[in-house]
Amino acid sequence: MARFNYLEPHSLDEALRMLADGGDGVRLVAGSTDFLIRWRTGFWRPDAVVCMQHVPGLDAISFNDADGLSLGAMATVQAIEQHDVIRQRYPALAAGATAFAGVQVRNLATIGGNACNASPAGDTLPALLAYDAQCRIVGPAGERWLPLTEFFQGPGRTALQPGEILTELRLPPPPPRTGGLYIKHSPRGAMDISAIGAAAVVSLADDGACRRVSIALGAVAPVPMRANAAEGRLIGQQPTAANIAEAARIAAQSTNPISDVRSGAGYRRDMVQVLTQRTLQHAVATAAGGPAPFGELRRLALQTAI
Amino acid sequence: MTSRNFKVLGQNHPRVDAYDKVTGRAAYAADVYLPGMLACKLLPSARSHARILRIDTGPAAALPGVRCIITGADFPDVRFGSGALRDRYVMPRDTVNFVGEPIAAVAAVDEATAQEAIELITVEYEDLPAVVNPITSMQPDASTVHPDLEDYQGYGFTMGHNVSTLLDADRGDVDQAFQDADHVIEDVYRSQGINQGFLEPMACVADVEPNGRLVIYASTQGPYQIRAGLAAVLELPVSRIRVVAMELGGGFGAKLRLAFEAFPALLAMRTGRPVKLVNTREEAFTMNGPRLPVTNYIRSGVMNDGTITAREAYTIFDVGAYLGAGPNSGIGHGIGAYRVPNFRLRSYGVYTNKIYVGSYRASGVADMTFAVESHMDHIAHRLGIDPYDLRLRNALREGDVSVSGAVVPSNGLLETLQAVKDAVAWPRQLEDGHGIGLALCEWRSGSGPSTAAISVNDDGTVSLLTGSTDISGSDTSLAAIAAEALGIGMQQVIVAKRDTDMAPYTGQSGGSRVVYSQGTAVQRAANETRDKLIALAAERLGLPQDALGCEDGRVYVLDNEPQGLTFTQLAAASITSRGGPIIGTAALSSMPYTPVFAAQAAEVKVDRETGQVRVLRYVQAQDVGTAINPMAVEGQLEGGVVQGIGRALTEDQQFDPDTGAVRNPSFAAYLMPLAIDTPQIENILIDVPAPDGPFGARAVAEPPGFGPPAAIANAVYDAVGVRVKELPLSGERVLAALKGQSPALTMDVASLRRAEGIAAD
Amino acid sequence: MKQPLQLQINGESRQMLVEPFYSLLDCLRDEAQLTGAKKGCDEGDCGACTVLMDGQPVTSCLVLAHSAHHADITTIEGLASVAALSPVQRAFVEHGGLQCGFCIPGLIMSATGFLQSNPNPTEEDVRFAIGGNLCRCTGYARVVEAIMAAAAEMRAAQ
Repeated sequence: MARFNYLEPHSLDEALRMLADGGDGVRLVAGSTDFLIRWRTGFWRPDAVVCMQHVPGLDAISFNDADGLSLGAMATVQAIEQHDVIRQRYPALAAGATAFAGVQVRNLATIGGNACNASPAGDTLPALLAYDAQCRIVGPAGERWLPLTEFFQGPGRTALQPGEILTELRLPPPPPRTGGLYIKHSPRGAMDISAIGAAAVVSLADDGACRRVSIALGAVAPVPMRANAAEGRLIGQQPTAANIAEAARIAAQSTNPISDVRSGAGYRRDMVQVLTQRTLQHAVATAAGGPAPFGELRRLALQTAI
Repeated sequence: MTSRNFKVLGQNHPRVDAYDKVTGRAAYAADVYLPGMLACKLLPSARSHARILRIDTGPAAALPGVRCIITGADFPDVRFGSGALRDRYVMPRDTVNFVGEPIAAVAAVDEATAQEAIELITVEYEDLPAVVNPITSMQPDASTVHPDLEDYQGYGFTMGHNVSTLLDADRGDVDQAFQDADHVIEDVYRSQGINQGFLEPMACVADVEPNGRLVIYASTQGPYQIRAGLAAVLELPVSRIRVVAMELGGGFGAKLRLAFEAFPALLAMRTGRPVKLVNTREEAFTMNGPRLPVTNYIRSGVMNDGTITAREAYTIFDVGAYLGAGPNSGIGHGIGAYRVPNFRLRSYGVYTNKIYVGSYRASGVADMTFAVESHMDHIAHRLGIDPYDLRLRNALREGDVSVSGAVVPSNGLLETLQAVKDAVAWPRQLEDGHGIGLALCEWRSGSGPSTAAISVNDDGTVSLLTGSTDISGSDTSLAAIAAEALGIGMQQVIVAKRDTDMAPYTGQSGGSRVVYSQGTAVQRAANETRDKLIALAAERLGLPQDALGCEDGRVYVLDNEPQGLTFTQLAAASITSRGGPIIGTAALSSMPYTPVFAAQAAEVKVDRETGQVRVLRYVQAQDVGTAINPMAVEGQLEGGVVQGIGRALTEDQQFDPDTGAVRNPSFAAYLMPLAIDTPQIENILIDVPAPDGPFGARAVAEPPGFGPPAAIANAVYDAVGVRVKELPLSGERVLAALKGQSPALTMDVASLRRAEGIAAD
Repeated sequence: MKQPLQLQINGESRQMLVEPFYSLLDCLRDEAQLTGAKKGCDEGDCGACTVLMDGQPVTSCLVLAHSAHHADITTIEGLASVAALSPVQRAFVEHGGLQCGFCIPGLIMSATGFLQSNPNPTEEDVRFAIGGNLCRCTGYARVVEAIMAAAAEMRAAQ
């Protein structure tokens, strides 16, 4: 129990000033869902919080064919889950969003907050990685862009420097004939922290070979990770069952999961293989014909029986 | 279906408290806000077994806003217990026995200040060797959890190292029967720790009246038990304590007994201010007793035709640091719903340095049912007999003698089996990865002290007063029983809110007791009320009592229906009558043995690659006797099955193997089923009237939760041909079984037999 | 130190002094005397504290009270008029979708928010919509039935 002060900026500049003035004792909060839980356990003990809720313009979601998808850092997970263009063009991200907690938490939690928490099990993160997200970071020295792969430094640690704020995530436009899926593996059909999460995005060339492949995994390493070796095994190859199985096997080998109350390390590695195979199969199957209807996507993402 | 001609019973009635609950007006203990109220917070032990050398509360006491701090030394030096054995201080005086055990309490002006004070308290411990695993704990060289056990009040006799209780049941010549059997089949099963999962954390507000009496606003299933417990640990006469039972936000056994009420009570007495304590969810997991893991050895002697002739069951119940739930109710359920002529049943309660064991929906019986019903399928498959036929062959019949020695009265066991068989079209061949499994559940209708009073109001309505806390709609069922007996509508019955000053003494609300026993008291009180109404009417009408009937809120002349007196008229007349205002009362102490049986079937799908099990359909048939309020009965059955599905698949209270601390004290890590996880549930109500229940009603609440672990495990076997003997049936565990990598479960039964001087093979 | 906070709660403008670290749930219960929303876990896992914030269901235990200032909050106390229950409340009563009742304010608020945006849901949609609400008593069957019935009634009334 550590009391803190509440600071409320109304512009990005004001937020940057508050961060600069407050120094180490200040923590930025977005949706506050993770913050309040961790504050109550005593894990975070800031002197003050800078709440980003009332800074205008940071929650926009937009798409165009040239620049792709722009997600304001304060866009809620629910807004992403509900967004038609995301369901159509970035189905793995829509799947990750729908697998995230329950609707009441999705209405609060933000995509930027999810990225900044850098939890290895964050449900939206594998899809963001798989779509090659870039981070727009604003700080005292101005603005910089960083690939999301370099953003995660460890559990709860990011590349943000003191005084910097993540303001936007940008996902390049997927090429034509691209499919994708995220599967969350957990005992229940909702609300769980992922035991394992796997995202795959595949773009096919005209000859049916894999032109671009990305595989991203959650909860199997200290940070959400890309399975580069497994991707390499498929790029340029035909997406046959054997090639997909081999890529999945390589993906499993590339992970370094832990044992905890949710799963043992060995089972986690086994599941990486199964989930990678399933996400790849679905990504390939939907690359040509377009994504599954959202109801089916949701069922697949959460592996529910009903 | 019933041929009885009920006017109120057998129809769906919304709960009497439904309006309050859907509008947010129902007041639970945490909703009590009193002027000047202080907030209470608790300091948990950081050690699993340690001597407390020093508790420094100085800096905490100096914090502005802190009003009072208490530790174990502030309480009288008396131990209490949930059963006869008094093995526990309400707050430890010199030794802590589990991580999380509350060792200090603070009252402060608000919760934040109280919590800050808690963090300023420092404790100096001297660690003692701890024992976490019950099997290890029983070894003579294991560290002793209660060195003074033999001196405790209520201790029986020496039964083994760290053993708090040993319950036994024997019949026939077991060893001879095993020798004579065509087959002997043995198994070891293990079931996990389970949290009751009530949504309302423990909460209590204590206040001191100007006259010095203590008032407790409690979240409890047993207001009189709270009163007795408080009186014991505070050394106060019960007459100095009043317990007000607030709405209960789920208990399932966890709120049967004294929990933390003594802390705000003592703080209120010290400060003269009301004090509120509301547990955090973490505290609900780490301070209040859950069910602990159970290991079950089970062996059967079976003849070639499938007749079971002998059964031996050794069950080790981990009871944690204290025997919180009393001797477990698992004993007696080692033979299940079957006639077994020879048996030897043993159930050990073993101390460890874990959180103490609590009660949960027929404590221990779900663990036993998992073992017995999985074992039944094992026998069936070994002998090549259909699992349904094996159950039918051995099922208890009317006139058989139960484990306790009571004769089994008329019941619907065979009807429940048949109903489930028909509903799932058993036996049925399914596609690969799909399977069906059966389980048979048995329980008895709960007994115990029950009282009721019914008074007739001026407007012809009646007020019903009982001491029972409402659980699972029992107030509504009791109102329906009163209405039926009196010949009035549900709307004419007011169910009074109660506290221990106003309502007559009664037993706890738990163990499927309220409708059966309390309902009988209500029925008798209603009958007395009706008799008095008729007597008064007879007097006023100048007719003999047997010339009168009682229906639709009036007493009428049987030969001339229009002639009569309404309850309103009789209520007015009663004021000046010889007998005075009309009130009917009844009390009873116990009820005859009335079993409850249920047959269940699960249809599952197993993912061979992930091991994950999904339940696609669940069917249950239960002999509920007369369904007092079918909508409520079915709600009970559904809720129970879903709790059982959680137990089968996802719920797993885990403990650190070194410290015994709860590893997953949150709803994010202790996984209770969500709406998206629950299958279609089909309920079949079998109505074989109980010989003694109110209008033939049987108990309902406990059996539905027993069956799912075994039914689902049996369905998994049917689906993919592997038997998982350990709960929960997680994907990881099922996949390991599919790979042939299940860990072997064992129990050294030979040593246990030897310790008792039994020289079995 | 407590700071002023203005909220629109159940159609009424409320000015309060609230600690900076208070959640919206603490604020509703301790300061606004609205105890319908329940604290079941204070971790966003049970949904018993669900209220509508600007029309959307949120776990009020995870909202910093001050971050909600000027927001429009609807709690369970704001659903029924003096004369009548809302269709969702009525359906829970009639279909027996409640037992101990502790989770019910949260479930009803989740259902109410959901049906405003999805008037014609499938049963599966409903189960997902209440995927953030734990109930230990009912097994959800009658809860789902009640929400489906409320949806049908609200469509018929349109």
